[in-house]
Amino acid sequence: MTDPRHLREPAGTTGPSRTGAVRITGLSKRYAMSGKSMTVLDDINLSIRPGEFVSIVGPSGCGKSTLLRLIVGLDTDYDGEIRLDDTRVAGTGLERGLVFQDHRLFPWMTVSKNVEVALLKQKLPKERRERLIAEHLALVGLSDFGEAYPHQLSGGMAQRAAIARALVNEPRVLALDEPLGALDALTRVKVQAELQRIWMEAGTTMIMVTHDVDEALFLGDRVVVMSPRPGRIARVVDVDLPHPRDRASPLLHRLKDEILGELTREPREEDGTLVSFPARTRS
Amino acid sequence: MSLRLRSVSLALLFPALVLGWWEWESRQGAGHAYAFAPLEQVARSLVEMLLDGRLLLHAGASLQRALTALLIGGSIGIATGIAMGLWRPFDRTAGPIVTTMRQVPILGWLPLVALWFGNGDGAKLLLVSLSAFYPTVLNTQKGMQAVEGKLAEVGRLYGFTRLQSLRLIAWPSALPLVFTGISQALAFAWIATIGVELLFSATAGLGTEMMAAQVAARTDVVLVCVACVGVMGFALNQLFALLRARLLRWQPAPGN
Repeated sequence: MTDPRHLREPAGTTGPSRTGAVRITGLSKRYAMSGKSMTVLDDINLSIRPGEFVSIVGPSGCGKSTLLRLIVGLDTDYDGEIRLDDTRVAGTGLERGLVFQDHRLFPWMTVSKNVEVALLKQKLPKERRERLIAEHLALVGLSDFGEAYPHQLSGGMAQRAAIARALVNEPRVLALDEPLGALDALTRVKVQAELQRIWMEAGTTMIMVTHDVDEALFLGDRVVVMSPRPGRIARVVDVDLPHPRDRASPLLHRLKDEILGELTREPREEDGTLVSFPARTRS
Repeated sequence: MSLRLRSVSLALLFPALVLGWWEWESRQGAGHAYAFAPLEQVARSLVEMLLDGRLLLHAGASLQRALTALLIGGSIGIATGIAMGLWRPFDRTAGPIVTTMRQVPILGWLPLVALWFGNGDGAKLLLVSLSAFYPTVLNTQKGMQAVEGKLAEVGRLYGFTRLQSLRLIAWPSALPLVFTGISQALAFAWIATIGVELLFSATAGLGTEMMAAQVAARTDVVLVCVACVGVMGFALNQLFALLRARLLRWQPAPGN
């Protein structure tokens, strides 16, 4: 039995039958902080195509991590609507995965056991379960480390194990909350390339929050730029380059300057309006 | 190799000095020889007690008593600790009682326990179990409450049931402290065993034999028993440390 999801179609030919479309409309989130109500996210509207890779960048306090927690259902208290393939999101579910900044592997379980417990709810037959574990360890290049304990892994390996755990349920959308934020610069670049390959192989819709504009551009089909207090979408940048990408591409550099300009700019009144910003129309 | 040799000889240096001083004391007249039994005589008693099986009998009886009590007091302690860790109202009720009771030294219960349960093996087991109960209950409770919210979130993400969260997240994350509790319980139970044997008349046990030897003015036999208690306590501690390291091998090495 071949899993069709592993045969990723080339970019641009994605049919309407594919799953993993995320539609966020009029999403707002408020916290009560010392008696006062604080708006963390304000009127977020975002439509993500099946199989798309969307990066979200923005300064601290723009609510980008909160947005991911809402999408996966760890936090359910919000106004507006989040839909995955036309079903309203309510609570956590195996069709939506999350990779945290810290790998959050259970230290008392081996790598393969860590991946296995993610499948617990599915009650699969043993052979199918074992095949899924083996496939996903191979996907992240950890086939030889199934019996290792998390403390025996390097930071990059632990994060790859966490990605395997998150993908083993074959979620329709995977949220990544600064997944490479704790890695050193060199490892980070390597795991970025790995993540690009994993995404291309798995074909899962991915939404990644990051501080690193290079990373956001290298991986994202689109980059959502957010502004803080309250968290709003300031701009959506199309990165019109096929995957796998070349870091040295002049387009990436031009877009980086653009986004950095946006991020370091003084706040403006009309912030929060969704501006599509196709790179190819720039002169 | 030579480094190991050096550390071993350093460890033996102090005992050798003590033994030398002891031997010197024992030669300072008849009174001294009574209080400080000559080493040669102690050695002879040791051999004699080994050969007639007396030492094995008493050591075995004490060991059995300590381990049985550890099993009883330890399992009740762990079960209570889990309940306290999971259920706040129970923690509020039982917590202060346990803490108050713990202030009373084990041997402080002796008059009451003797009154209620006599001075048989049951009473002894009760007191030793109590000494194993305190460290296990307190450490288990602390361990169960130390579950990291971050890891609990992973359980929510993958739809763990309450029982699965308990078995796969809360319990293993409490294990290091549970083991700390058990190793303290082991030490306390061993000490309490010898204590109750000294104070309660008994059939067999190192404490009983010590008491009998004191009455019979056999300081050498007392010394053999004291040494045996010490060596066995040390060995138990070491064995448990090995077991702990094996069962908690998923923990990063200290300082790592």
